[in-house]
Amino acid sequence: MAEIVKMPKQGLQMTEGTILKWFVAEGAQIREGEPFFEVETDKLTLVVDSHHTGTVLKLLAGVGDAVPVMNPIAIIGNVGEDISGLLPQSPILPEKITETVPVVKSVQVSSRDTRFAGDSGERILNGKFVTPRARKIARETNIAIADIAKSFTGSKISSRDVLAFAETEKARVKASPVAQRMADEKGIDLASVKKDSGRIMKADVSAALMRGTSYRRGEKLVPFTGMRKVIASRMLESQKEMAQTHNRIRVDVSELVALREKLAEGGIKVSYNDILVRLVSRVLPEFPYVNASWTEEGILLHEYVNMGIAVGLDEGLVVPVLRDADMLTLAQIAEQGGALVQAAREGRLNPDDFSEGTFTLSNLGMFDTEEFVAIVNPPQAAILAVGSIIRQPVADDAGEVVVKPMMTLTLSYDHRIVDGAVAAKFLQRLKQFIRNPLLAY
Amino acid sequence: MVRIRKFEELTEVFFSQGRFRGTVHPYIGQEAIGSTVISNLEEGDYVGSTHRGHGHTIAIGCETKKMLAEMLGKENGLCRGRGGSMHMQDFSRGYLGQNGIVGGGVALTTGAALAAQIKGTKQVAVAFYGEGASNQGVVHETMNMASIWKLPMIFVCENNQFGVTTRVDKSTSVHDISVRAKAYEMAGTTVDGRSVIEVEEAIQEALRRARSGEGPTLIEAKCFRWLGHYFGDNEPTRTREEVEAEKKKDPIQMHKSVLLSEKFATESQLASIEGEVEEEIKQAIAFAEAGPAPDPRSVTDAVFCEPVSL
Amino acid sequence: MTVKTYYNAIATVLAEEMRRDPAVFVMGEDIAEGGGTFSCTKGLLEEFGRNRVRNTPISECGFVGMSLGAAICGLRPVVELMFLDFACNAMDQIINQISKARYMSGGTVKVPLVLRGPQGGWRGKAAQHSQSLETLYMHVPGLKVVCPSSPYNVAGLLRASIRSDDPVIFCEHKNLIPVKGEVPDDPEFLIPLGKADVVRQGRDVTVIASLMCVHFALEVAEKMAKEGISVEVIDVRTLVPLDKATVLESVRKTGRAVVAHEAVKFCGWGSEISSIIMEEAFEYLDAPVARVGAKYCPIPYAKELEDEALPSVADIEQAVRRVLS
Repeated sequence: MAEIVKMPKQGLQMTEGTILKWFVAEGAQIREGEPFFEVETDKLTLVVDSHHTGTVLKLLAGVGDAVPVMNPIAIIGNVGEDISGLLPQSPILPEKITETVPVVKSVQVSSRDTRFAGDSGERILNGKFVTPRARKIARETNIAIADIAKSFTGSKISSRDVLAFAETEKARVKASPVAQRMADEKGIDLASVKKDSGRIMKADVSAALMRGTSYRRGEKLVPFTGMRKVIASRMLESQKEMAQTHNRIRVDVSELVALREKLAEGGIKVSYNDILVRLVSRVLPEFPYVNASWTEEGILLHEYVNMGIAVGLDEGLVVPVLRDADMLTLAQIAEQGGALVQAAREGRLNPDDFSEGTFTLSNLGMFDTEEFVAIVNPPQAAILAVGSIIRQPVADDAGEVVVKPMMTLTLSYDHRIVDGAVAAKFLQRLKQFIRNPLLAY
Repeated sequence: MVRIRKFEELTEVFFSQGRFRGTVHPYIGQEAIGSTVISNLEEGDYVGSTHRGHGHTIAIGCETKKMLAEMLGKENGLCRGRGGSMHMQDFSRGYLGQNGIVGGGVALTTGAALAAQIKGTKQVAVAFYGEGASNQGVVHETMNMASIWKLPMIFVCENNQFGVTTRVDKSTSVHDISVRAKAYEMAGTTVDGRSVIEVEEAIQEALRRARSGEGPTLIEAKCFRWLGHYFGDNEPTRTREEVEAEKKKDPIQMHKSVLLSEKFATESQLASIEGEVEEEIKQAIAFAEAGPAPDPRSVTDAVFCEPVSL
Repeated sequence: MTVKTYYNAIATVLAEEMRRDPAVFVMGEDIAEGGGTFSCTKGLLEEFGRNRVRNTPISECGFVGMSLGAAICGLRPVVELMFLDFACNAMDQIINQISKARYMSGGTVKVPLVLRGPQGGWRGKAAQHSQSLETLYMHVPGLKVVCPSSPYNVAGLLRASIRSDDPVIFCEHKNLIPVKGEVPDDPEFLIPLGKADVVRQGRDVTVIASLMCVHFALEVAEKMAKEGISVEVIDVRTLVPLDKATVLESVRKTGRAVVAHEAVKFCGWGSEISSIIMEEAFEYLDAPVARVGAKYCPIPYAKELEDEALPSVADIEQAVRRVLS
């Protein structure tokens, strides 16, 4: 049996040996224990004895050859043996020994490979750090950290912040911008708008407006506007706060009609309201308590007449005030009053225009209302409600039935300030002025 | 002795074939000491060895096949491939094992003697170490304690003249290491480590002393290792002539001639012993080569008695 | 239950275990007459005699090495090191021999020994007698490491260590030696190795500590409870094997952790726990783990310097606040 002789490992660090000398040639005999070859390593030179007895069938390395440890260098066997199968195919590499350690060069900052450049800013969102726990909880509750980061004021978003955000998100309902605007305008709370999934859209808000709190055809819920709220509270306040009552008279306004026609012929256009403002503002000074205001300290008697003129707008009743109406001519009243009313209609009034009224005139005659009871405009003492002019048969002084233009005037007043008799006398005096407008001059 | 010699020669071959990892420290030349001392022990006695301890391992009865398997790093090795050449151990035979640290096994072997004393048995502990180890602090500490407590302890110093490359006269303050026994009020003696007879006389006296409670003994056995400190040692401080001269004083040959001349054995008996050993070695090779490699997943097993994962 | 000092608890357990198992014996310097420098072996010589109470010369390397041999041969040595710093004399025996004996034998031998002794500072014992080197032993595979923080713990853990079949480095603390506490009277009372103890429950932050730092942490927790911050305090009790599960469960709950120990902060075992938390509970963290440890210097002698070098209640509080911010 042929045996392979290998380059021996003669030391821990030995990786290869160099054959210096073969003591036995190919084809010659060798016995176990006899010197076979001499090998040199970087540490030592030694003679290696043969471990086998037989014929040197082949020498696989020559003098001067460096052979890696454990690789075949010779074959010993019997003459004539077939050794083709024993010839080495590829070298066997010994266990790796690190002879040299690569020199580790530090990377110069200037020559840093830009392929490896990175930005720690990726770890921050909108300049805010996000803790791992925060990310985890955000993932689990389906919250986008970016949403939190938008409005977050701190520098580090932690799990608590995510949980808090989740709470407010639950409360906050999602709506489209249009729907959001609409809801804000109409004063609708989006939380009350029912929607199964998705954002609340304009149609949903409209439907909610239509429906109100319960779904019934034919009803429309109008939310309170600012103006309506004010009117409502003032009317209620008036009713509750005062000892309110009213007196009524019916007046023949033939002279007013004639006056108006005459002025029209002269190119001066006035309305009955203008004339009444003129007349009432001339009567009021005679009845200071009718031109008064209620205060905590006492009844305020005004030496001036600021006539409030009730104007009915689509949105509601407004009462712009014509200042010092008692000092104005009819033409001025017509002009300024007209301007006030126009401004009111156009929404151009400012707070000053509503303040410091001392008496209010309310005319529903243009709507064919014959008579009505107005509600006093606190803190004023009284309000005069003017009805429409109706041609009615009345008995004249002679007892004959004649048809006359008649107007019903109703004075609502605060009985705390104005006694019934005073109200009656005021109306009576006004009647006189209406029957004889020249008294106003 | 023959077994030790043949085993070590085999390891030399295997090593040169690159089949062992790490390094091997051959006992060749010192066979007389290990085999003689240990063959005089009784069952239950303890032996602690060194990095150059294959001789002790074999002498105490560990199987060569398991030793070879251990050196090949196999699962069927003496220590399941965990210890390797320097850490052979078999507690079932009282063999506390080899030790990779010079002088490392002396304290633990003395601990075995302490255990025997505490338990009140007649066991004896024998610690092998070299002349280099005799300079280790722990060896002095244990000799002192063995002496004050009169432990059943025998310190066997195998003085093979060299600590790797350092000659003993350059490392050790005394010429005869047994002198140090006196420093610890211990019995001490120097013998020729090549002579089976001399070693046996010394060990038998030491055993008597130990078992009778008289205390420890230090036996210095002067010897010579034929090969380098390890396989591949280029021995810069020894000359070829010196080594050759020593090899002529082969303890095995010396003992052979004693046996023959005193007619304790015949040529053929001795020859058959050698033949048996050679056969055993062949079996060992087959056994070891056939052994399975250890499963890498078991690497953290047996760190503790209960498994932990850390 | 009986109120005992830490050292008395040790002496009691040693006596009970030596009674129970004749294989148990003690070894160390000055442990016989007088019962030990810290009175931990009081009464043992009188009860068990010199055979099992081995008073040694000053030869740590020698007798620690001998304990290994004795352990392999079936005895159960409990070796006292007067100051645990002295184990450094025996480092070869501990690191190269004791820790590896079982493994190198392929698992055939066992090493049931205990090396015990006091470590730590605050007693003005200066650099060589005040160290906390438990991290070194943790790093060598094959050694169990235990640190009992109270008389209760020292009793239960010492018994478990003696009965363990593996080598145990038992790190007592010299500042805890005179501390009193309740200890169960049951001679079988045992705290299993490898189980940490949640000594105070909390919700906001976890503090993992050992020995003196456990007590400091509890002080911090008490103070911060008044501010409405609830601190969970875990006493590790055993460092090897570490009770990872308890630590991680707590951190997953609170999201914030502080590790406090007396070992030097740099490369102290707090780094290991911090890394474990980072690796296994990263997603649960709201803040990086903070570590509190001794400063990087030998322990000085002067009180101001020693107090500065060692971790304090204030250091732990500062760390807790830092992770909460």
